[in-house]
Amino acid sequence: MQAQATQIIHAYKQAPWRVQRQYVGAFLLAVIGTSMIAALYLQVTAGAARAGREIQEMRVQITAIQRANADLETQLANLTSTTEMERRALEMGYRPVKPGELDYVAVPGFVAPEPAILLAAEDVVQYSHPLPFEYTQSLIEWFDDRVKAGDY
Amino acid sequence: MRQQYAVRTLLLVAGLVVVGLAVIVQMIRIQNSEQAKIFLSQGDMYSGEFRMFYPERGEIYDRNGHLLAGNRTVYEVGVSLSQMTDPQALAYILGTYLGLTYEEVYNQLTNSPKSWEYIVIQDYVGDETVSALQQLVQQMKDVDDDSLSGLGFKPHFQRSYPEDALASNVLGFVTRDGRGYFGIEEKYNDLLAGNPVQVWVPTDPNKASEIPKVPNGTTLVLTINRDLQAKVENILDQSLTNYGAENGAIIVMDPNNGEIFAMATTPRLDLNNYTDYFSLYDNGSQYNRSIGMAYEAGSVVKILTMAAALDTGTVTPSTTFIDTGSIEVGGITIHNWDRQPWGQQDMIGCLQHSLNVCLAWIATQMGTQTFYGYMERFGLGHPTGIDLSGEAMGRLKVPGDTDWYNVDLGTNAFGQGVTVTPLQLLMSASAIANDGKMVTPHVLYSMLRDGHQYNVPSQYAGSPIKAETARTLNEMLAISLEGESSSALVPGYRVAGKTGTAQIPTEYGYNESQTNASFIGWGPVDDPRFLIYVWIQKPTTSIWSSETAAPVFSQVAEQTVILLNIPPDMVRNQFGTR
Repeated sequence: MQAQATQIIHAYKQAPWRVQRQYVGAFLLAVIGTSMIAALYLQVTAGAARAGREIQEMRVQITAIQRANADLETQLANLTSTTEMERRALEMGYRPVKPGELDYVAVPGFVAPEPAILLAAEDVVQYSHPLPFEYTQSLIEWFDDRVKAGDY
Repeated sequence: MRQQYAVRTLLLVAGLVVVGLAVIVQMIRIQNSEQAKIFLSQGDMYSGEFRMFYPERGEIYDRNGHLLAGNRTVYEVGVSLSQMTDPQALAYILGTYLGLTYEEVYNQLTNSPKSWEYIVIQDYVGDETVSALQQLVQQMKDVDDDSLSGLGFKPHFQRSYPEDALASNVLGFVTRDGRGYFGIEEKYNDLLAGNPVQVWVPTDPNKASEIPKVPNGTTLVLTINRDLQAKVENILDQSLTNYGAENGAIIVMDPNNGEIFAMATTPRLDLNNYTDYFSLYDNGSQYNRSIGMAYEAGSVVKILTMAAALDTGTVTPSTTFIDTGSIEVGGITIHNWDRQPWGQQDMIGCLQHSLNVCLAWIATQMGTQTFYGYMERFGLGHPTGIDLSGEAMGRLKVPGDTDWYNVDLGTNAFGQGVTVTPLQLLMSASAIANDGKMVTPHVLYSMLRDGHQYNVPSQYAGSPIKAETARTLNEMLAISLEGESSSALVPGYRVAGKTGTAQIPTEYGYNESQTNASFIGWGPVDDPRFLIYVWIQKPTTSIWSSETAAPVFSQVAEQTVILLNIPPDMVRNQFGTR
């Protein structure tokens, strides 16, 4: 009876090389899985870093453009200041008008413009949208958040 | 044998496990110790930095969109000491370009405390100098010369005034610490400066934080007309030279809504060199005499006395008064300006010849309570509420004050013993020019923020007199100017107004040789579009306002009608246009 049982066990027991191969396979699977996760993590974090850098560079560009814009506005104002315009007008042969030299013409229906909107409206405000989490979160942080949120 | 090795191996493994476990336990212990928390917090300190983001200061424009105050980029020039390789070369170059001595820069670079990482050599350096320095740094880099390594330039904004001294008394200025002083810059400092935002900026690019958009300061649009302001300032400067006067002020306002078109005073500060302030002014009240200096304006106050008398029905334009050249009020005898009797006069004659005796009589007829009640309603002794900093409120003594005497009723009626600012009288007179409605003067037209324009509504400061009274007095003042062929008249336009020549009070009484010459006037009489106040302080060629302030009014009015596009009366009546 016992011999019969031993035979059955031997019949179904895997060969040692099979067992070893299973272990090696499991190990390789774990290595490949870990490598894939690591690669994915690297890709995500590298992408986030690249996006972060780009944002920083754009921010610097925006600041530089704003400065250049302010400088140009001031430069333009200097070139069109009263003293400068008067000097240029005199150079071109103009002279200040005297009250008696003005002719007024009535234009039916004409209404003198009031300074209602004096300036081109400033740029429509760029409301500050926070960066999406995808750009700032690592994979681990994302997973952690999901777990905490009870998604998993 | 194998058994012996097995035991040894086991012992070795056990030893290694124990050591390994000890290392892990120690690691866990250290990680969770009190010191670890301190180290972690210290580490956090270097993981980023708190950075303050300052918004760009709001700009200031005139009513036609001309920039009066803007911003320009300047640089902080500094050296990163850890990257510095050649302090001699840096000292030589920076000394040459920044106008400093070699020794000065060299000492700064070599004798700074060891804990310092960065040292500022000079701030507020202009764009041209920095561009030249940047070019030089690049040239040296191109030939692999790192003598200038460590040199850095940090840009930031500085307030800039393209018109230099134009309207300086209205604008005020901003110091390097970013705070506004005087005028608009001080009054609206919080709006213009905006709100700085402090942000933690991590150095780890993986933690790219969102730097918030810091909204710029609010941009302001003023009621000032730049071209008229320039003309008025020129006229004022020229008048002071022509009449040998000490100082002066001219204001041009819209009597319908209180918008100030121009406000000129002397001396004026070049706002791009605001450090000259201390050499130009003895005290803050001199910065804008139009609002900051109260003085005895003299006969221009007579229009308020007459307005009160007409409004209460005490007199009418045709009421007659026999002028004997003097009148006794409160036991003191009051004389006319020329100490002469002018005989029978109607009320227009009293204004036309500026008779002190007549106006003192009118005040006594009205009575103390009524007279001072009207003066209060005209706003004397109170600030106008203009949106400029540094406004004085003048002084109106009233019965009950320890220094008020019965004679003050008579003298106050013709402008003696009462101090006002030019702007106060302008506001009071707006009631006469504007059908009895007094307007609050203001210089802010609108605010621009987040792409929206918010206009500032006009405010009325009460109705001290009836519309009918205002129209009657308007006509009386126009007739009185025409009757004396005043030098204040403006060809083509009917104007109303009043002169004021006031002796200057001293510790020993009134100085008869020095006067304040003033003129207040408006036009066109049938539809007033401008209200002008002229104050010439201590003119020497003539002490009389009819010969100094009145012709200045005429010049200012001529420029005003041109620049505000106000057609002559004949044209307006012909076409029925405004």
